[in-house]
Amino acid sequence: MSAPGKRNILAAVAIAICAVAIVALPFVVADRYILRILTVVGINVIMVAGLSLLFGYAGQISLGQAAFYGLGAYTSGYLAKAGVPWLVALVGGVGVAALGGLLIALPSLRLKGHYLAMATLGFGEIMLFFFTETESITGGSNGLRGIPPASIGPLEFATPVAKYFLVWAVVAIVLLLAANVVRHRPGRALRAIHGSEMGAQACGIDTVRVKIQVFVISAGLGGLAGVLYGHYVGFVSPSTFTLHYSLILVTMVALGGMGSLGGAVAGTVLLTLLPFIDAIIPGLPRTTVAVLQDWTNDIYGLVLILVMLFMPRGLAGWARSLVARLAERGSARVPGGERA
Amino acid sequence: MERMKRGALGILCLALAVGVILPGGCAGSDTGGDGGAATGEPYVIGAVLSLTGAQAGLGGPEKNAIDMEVARINEAGGINGRPLEVIIEDDASDVDQAVARTTKLIEQDNVIAIIGSTGTGQSMAMRDVISEAGVPQVALGSGSVITAEFDPLVFQTPWTADLIVPLALQYLADEGLTKVGLITEDTGFGKDGQALVNAMAAEYGLEVVSDEVFKPADTDMTGQLTVIKSKGADVVLMWSSVAASSIVPKNMAQLNLGIPLVCSHGVAKQEFIDGAGEAGEGVLAFAGKVLAPETYGAGTPSYDAATGFVERYTAAYGVAPDHFAGHAYDGLYLVVEALKRLDEGFTPADLRDEIEATSGFPGIGGVFTFSATDHNGMTADDIVMYRIEGGSWVLAE
Amino acid sequence: METSELLQLVIAGLKNGSIYALLALGFTIVYAATNVINFAQGEFYMLGGMFAVFAFTRFGLPLVLAVPVAVLVVAGIGVLFERLAIRPRKDAEPMALIIITVGGSLVFASLARHAFGSDALPLPEFTPGPSIPFAGAAIERQALWIWGIVLVTVAGLTFLYGKTRLGRAMRACMQNREAARLMGIDTARVVMISFGLAAALGALAGVAVTPLTSTRFDIGAGIAVKGFAAAILGGLGSPLAAVAGGLLLGLIEQAVIPFSSALKDVVALAVLLAVLFLRPQGLFRRSRREKV
Repeated sequence: MSAPGKRNILAAVAIAICAVAIVALPFVVADRYILRILTVVGINVIMVAGLSLLFGYAGQISLGQAAFYGLGAYTSGYLAKAGVPWLVALVGGVGVAALGGLLIALPSLRLKGHYLAMATLGFGEIMLFFFTETESITGGSNGLRGIPPASIGPLEFATPVAKYFLVWAVVAIVLLLAANVVRHRPGRALRAIHGSEMGAQACGIDTVRVKIQVFVISAGLGGLAGVLYGHYVGFVSPSTFTLHYSLILVTMVALGGMGSLGGAVAGTVLLTLLPFIDAIIPGLPRTTVAVLQDWTNDIYGLVLILVMLFMPRGLAGWARSLVARLAERGSARVPGGERA
Repeated sequence: MERMKRGALGILCLALAVGVILPGGCAGSDTGGDGGAATGEPYVIGAVLSLTGAQAGLGGPEKNAIDMEVARINEAGGINGRPLEVIIEDDASDVDQAVARTTKLIEQDNVIAIIGSTGTGQSMAMRDVISEAGVPQVALGSGSVITAEFDPLVFQTPWTADLIVPLALQYLADEGLTKVGLITEDTGFGKDGQALVNAMAAEYGLEVVSDEVFKPADTDMTGQLTVIKSKGADVVLMWSSVAASSIVPKNMAQLNLGIPLVCSHGVAKQEFIDGAGEAGEGVLAFAGKVLAPETYGAGTPSYDAATGFVERYTAAYGVAPDHFAGHAYDGLYLVVEALKRLDEGFTPADLRDEIEATSGFPGIGGVFTFSATDHNGMTADDIVMYRIEGGSWVLAE
Repeated sequence: METSELLQLVIAGLKNGSIYALLALGFTIVYAATNVINFAQGEFYMLGGMFAVFAFTRFGLPLVLAVPVAVLVVAGIGVLFERLAIRPRKDAEPMALIIITVGGSLVFASLARHAFGSDALPLPEFTPGPSIPFAGAAIERQALWIWGIVLVTVAGLTFLYGKTRLGRAMRACMQNREAARLMGIDTARVVMISFGLAAALGALAGVAVTPLTSTRFDIGAGIAVKGFAAAILGGLGSPLAAVAGGLLLGLIEQAVIPFSSALKDVVALAVLLAVLFLRPQGLFRRSRREKV
């Protein structure tokens, strides 16, 4: 079997282990704290999946992703409180976020360079203003309280375990779809844009159109994560949707490795868990946890700088070279290979 | 294919993190919140404070106060012979982290009560988790909404706009300052006051002639104050607690506005005086009696509580405590005093009932008497007016 | 509103606008040398104020020394940041460098909290005293300092770009970095100096404003958005355009206040988006829409 084939098996095994671990976890762990943290991880994974597509495959950056998160959360929260079925509220939340994305993408992606980054930054700040000021819809600074849990017909996702499974089921669907986007024609077009826009255009790819599509997808995914978040916590307030959160999301993608969905997922898991380290390592002394929490932002910033300096391909690139080395050593020990 | 494989490896890391480490993680935790375990075991209370992020300036003093007082209580023999342990968690001024920390305190540390959070938003967001667990919460956020949207489990120690706005408006009416130029910060704290002032001004025969806001990040409010001036205001009423509030008296001095500045309790701290400098002289603000404990009368329990706390805090940390430290002190002692009155084997519901039964507790913010409908527990008698004189807050009148 | 009150709004707009202008200059200088939007620019502003307060209160330096010391220290931090975090990846795509500056801004703000605490710290005015009456309006003394700093900065930058070898090298880099390098210009040095200069300007703005506002570890991001907006209005090109962008932003904000002070920031941001979409080259440059 060829090396890529071997790696495919490895990938499949890894995904399978991961899936089993996620599904099995609530049966082993009853602790609501750990379930909550891992549910938040799942929500962040959805956010980052969208950002990763945009970032890695279209060479664009969004500094206002929190705005789409907020649009999703407020829209569906408001609709659900008004008695609209959850699935409809979900579609509403995703739709409004995607529409917001389209409004920003249409004018800014016609231009080359970092206009999207600049525009998303301004858009994020403007949306934060509306989240705070339109009190009749968003509840203003006091927040929108009493958002009902997600439900599909008679099936209500009210318990921590049910919420956990709902979020991770959506994560699975999102990652599958995103992997498909990456693997098939749109993904190749995207990578071409990242490589050389002119080259891509020479090949007959409408790069602007593809970039806009990707941005709308990433905004929609932001909205989707926001919908899940709102119905999960039951309370939404403007302080969640800040530039700081948008920057943390960028950090997650950068740590994982631009251009790698799996890397972005890993980066998200690690950085989301960092301030909650005590949930993962129970024996940790309180003072250690307190120091880590105190230095969380320094660590985020340093990680961002160090990764960009020394591992520009992020965790994904690092893991890939590690596996390549292991594979080399493996094939050196067993010359010829014993498997077909 | 390349990407897929890279993705797979990323996910492998996740699987390792989740699959290997977590099962160990759950071993240490069990469910349920038993209040009175074996004798000699500490009472465990949780505190969610904003030690980092935007509200770090408030959370820090709150933590100081709690650390100091817990040590003092334990040195004096604890509560009913049992030691007290307060587990302090940092919510990074973030709503989601506040909820997660609360869940952690309830699930893993089996706390019998929660103090916090520092901010109103966090305090409100924590409510669902609190209700689910049925433990009492003593919030340190000052938003009126915390007790206005009543929850039997939730108590609140800071002064609220509900408490102070009527006093401020009454003062303006008494002084004949009927044309009010309102300026508020564009945050939950400011909006709380802004909404109440606008709603109640007419009751006191006042007219809000100009309703201006500023952002915590603003560097200058001369624009807003110029508009207030152009509307012919008799007084500037400010509802703000952020550092930028000290720009307002400076800009008023610079514009020679020549009208008084009356403020909420948000500015009743040294930081405001330092920031405002000379322009701060004469500024009026409403706050509890802790800034001038002699108003309680020397030797009264309230006087002793206030002066003792200020002395201990100043000795321990080298600076005088601000009122946020005082609100945390109150939050801690409301729970501690209730614990003292309870027999072993109580439930969280018993503790809640006992906190609600608090009557005449001499705290730092005021004298607390809770009832089934009042979980803020202070009255207009607890609030007095201060003026800045010679670089410190002194009792006005 | 009376004329004197309108004049007062204009004065406020020009004062705030000058602060934005100094930040916009920092963005513009770094952008010219590297094509990077430096997200740490607001932190230089914060650090300038912080170090000035620190030198003044902890070391008891007189203001006249504390201010230049703070500016120099922050300029040093800017240079160090470039050497350690930007130069090793100088040939990477701008996106990677932007992310590095985002990381820098997180680290600077957080380190400042560890070093200086989380309270707002005041600084006395450079020349204390009552404001100066002017046609029925009032001008605070610190505003004169801020305007003076902007004027001197613009004059200095104009001289630097027009008359010095370094300035010509910087302009060459602005036009085309690759060509500049081929012509024997030490582009690495230009980039380093640009960061130092931008940091110094940010710090200068921060020092000049701290007597009015006090300073705190977390003020960098908020002011950076303003400076960034001003830089976009100016088109990220010449220093004069950056200053014009800053002043314009300050005036727009004040123009909104009589209608609704709550809308002040959002109107300014809406103008920013409109300019980005309709005139991406900025308000003051002829179209140079990038060709593919």
